Amino acid sequence: MSILEVNNLTKKFGSFTAVDNISFSLEEGEILGFLGQNGAGKTTTIQMLLGVLNKTSGTIFYFGKSLEKHRMEILEKVNFSSTYTNLMWWLTVKENLTFMSYLYNIPNRKKRIAEIVEIFRLQEFFHKNLTELSAGQVTRVNLAKAFLNYPKVLLLDEPTASLDPEVAEYIRQFLLMQREKFKTSIIITSHNMGEVEELCNRVIVIQQGKLVANDTPVELAASIPLSHIALIVQKGEKEALSYFAKKKLLHKKKGNTWYITLTTRGISAFLQDMTRQHIVYTDLNIQKPSLEDYFLQLAGEKSYETS
Amino acid sequence: MKLHRIQGLMLKTFFLTRRSWDRISDVVYWSIIDLAVWGLTGQYFTALSSPRSHILEIIVSGILFWLIIWRGQQEISVNLLEDLWNKNMVNLFVAPLTFAEWVMSFLLVSIVKVLISFLVASFAAELFYHINIFAYGWYLLPVSILLLINSWWIGFVIAGMILRFGTKMQTLAWSIVSLLAPFSAIYYPVGILPKWGQFIAEVLPTSYLFTALHAIVVKSPLDVFSLEVSLVLSFMYLALSLVYLKSCFNKVLERGLVKLN
Repeated sequence: MSILEVNNLTKKFGSFTAVDNISFSLEEGEILGFLGQNGAGKTTTIQMLLGVLNKTSGTIFYFGKSLEKHRMEILEKVNFSSTYTNLMWWLTVKENLTFMSYLYNIPNRKKRIAEIVEIFRLQEFFHKNLTELSAGQVTRVNLAKAFLNYPKVLLLDEPTASLDPEVAEYIRQFLLMQREKFKTSIIITSHNMGEVEELCNRVIVIQQGKLVANDTPVELAASIPLSHIALIVQKGEKEALSYFAKKKLLHKKKGNTWYITLTTRGISAFLQDMTRQHIVYTDLNIQKPSLEDYFLQLAGEKSYETS
Repeated sequence: MKLHRIQGLMLKTFFLTRRSWDRISDVVYWSIIDLAVWGLTGQYFTALSSPRSHILEIIVSGILFWLIIWRGQQEISVNLLEDLWNKNMVNLFVAPLTFAEWVMSFLLVSIVKVLISFLVASFAAELFYHINIFAYGWYLLPVSILLLINSWWIGFVIAGMILRFGTKMQTLAWSIVSLLAPFSAIYYPVGILPKWGQFIAEVLPTSYLFTALHAIVVKSPLDVFSLEVSLVLSFMYLALSLVYLKSCFNKVLERGLVKLN
C-alpha cells in the first residue's frame, strides 16, 4: 500500500485549471521530486495535499485513509516546510517551536525541541527572534518545525533555498538519513536539479497543471537522446570539420574547443571514426544528458534538434 | 476539540504579548486615558449639577464596560491579523488544528485579556474617583458576560471580513467598534438619539445592556426586559457571526490559505 495515493486531482480557479487531473503515489521511504516551472501547479498541488486548499475533484489518500474524512489523524503524521510561509517573526526560535509542539502534541516537548535544535544547528540563536535571523537560518527553523512531530510524510517546498552550500549539503544528508532510518516519505520541490538527482528516487514533472512525466531522474535524463562532447583537435581539423558536416552533427568552436552534439548511442562510433581518420584530439569531455537538460528541454529553453 | 492545541495557540499569544510593550500597554493604556479624560469631565459636570447626580458613575461605568467590547473584539481580530502579517496561517492549519479549536483559542485569550484590562481599569477607577465598580453587585455579572459575547460576535464579523477580503480590511479591527459606540448608548439613554439612531440602537444588544447598566448604576430596579432582549440578540448575533466566519474560512480554503494576505 502506498503512503500517499493521489487520484485524478484537479483544481480549478474559475475557468482556469491550475491542476489538471493528476495521479501519482508516494511509497514508504521514498523521496519524490516534484518539478515544474513557476506557475506549473506544484504549490497548488502541495496545498491540496496539506488540506489548506480545497480540491475541485479527485481523491487524496494517506495511509489508505481519505484526507477529507481523516484530516486530523493524517495531519498528525504529516508536516511541511516552505519558503512562502513563516513562523511568527516576533517570537524566538524556542517560542515558535514550543507553541508548535503543542499543536502536534509532542511527547517530552523539551527533549524533542532540544534534539531538533541540535540537528538543525539552531543552538546559538535559540533565544533570538526570527526577525534577527538570516534567510538561511529562518529556513533551518522552518525545517526544524517540519521535523518536530516525527513525520511519516514530509512535504518540503524548496527546503534548501537560501541555505549556504555547506548547510544545504548537511540538510540533504539529513533527509537521506531520515529516509534510511525512519522510512520517512518525502515530497520535495526544488529548482536545484543536482539536488533532485542526489535525493530523489523518483521525479514527477508537472507542466501547465498536467503531469507530464513520472520516472527516476536517471530515466528522465536518459529520455533525452543527445549528449554533448567537448574536445580540442590537435591535428586534422579540416578532416574533423568535413566529418561533422557529413554526419550532420551540430557543432561549434569556442576558443580552441569544439562542442559537438550527437546521439548518446553514437558516441562510441564517433570516437572510433575520429581515430580511424587520424584526427588527433585532447581534453575530451563527454557530457551525458542530465535532469537539468530534461527540465530545460521541457521548458523549451534548450533545443535538442540536430538540424 | 483538544486542549493541547488550544493551549498551544494561547501560548503563542502569551509569548507575543510578553515580548511586546505595545501589546502590554494596549491592554491598559487606552482605558486609563479614557478614564482620566472622561472621568475628569464627568467629575466637572457632577460639580456643576446636583450633588445626587450620577454623571460620574455613568461615565466611569460606561468606560469600564465598553472596555469589555473593545478589548474582546480586538483580541480576536488582532490575533488573526498577527497570523496573517506573519504568514503563519498555513503553518497553523497544516497542523492537526480544527476551526473550532482556533475559534476557542480566540475566545479564551479574549476572556483573559478582558479580565486583566477590566481589573486594571476598575482599580484605576477606585484610585482616581473612589468608584468601586464591584459594589454594584452581582447584577453586573450577566451584563459583563453578555458584553463579552457581543465583543465576540463583533470580532468574528471583523475576522470574517479580513479572511474574505484580506488585510486591506484590517482597519476595521480598530474602527468598527467605534462606529457602534454612539448607538450603544454608553453614556446616555437611547431616547436622546435621533429617530434613525434609535432604530439602529434597537437592533443592537449593546444598547439594551448599557440601558440595564445605567439602571444598576443609578440604583433603579433591575431592567430585566433589557437584559432579556440583549440575551436573545447577543446569542443570535453570535450564532450568525460564527456561521459567517466559517463561511469566510471555507471561502479562503477555495482560494488557498497561502494566498491569504
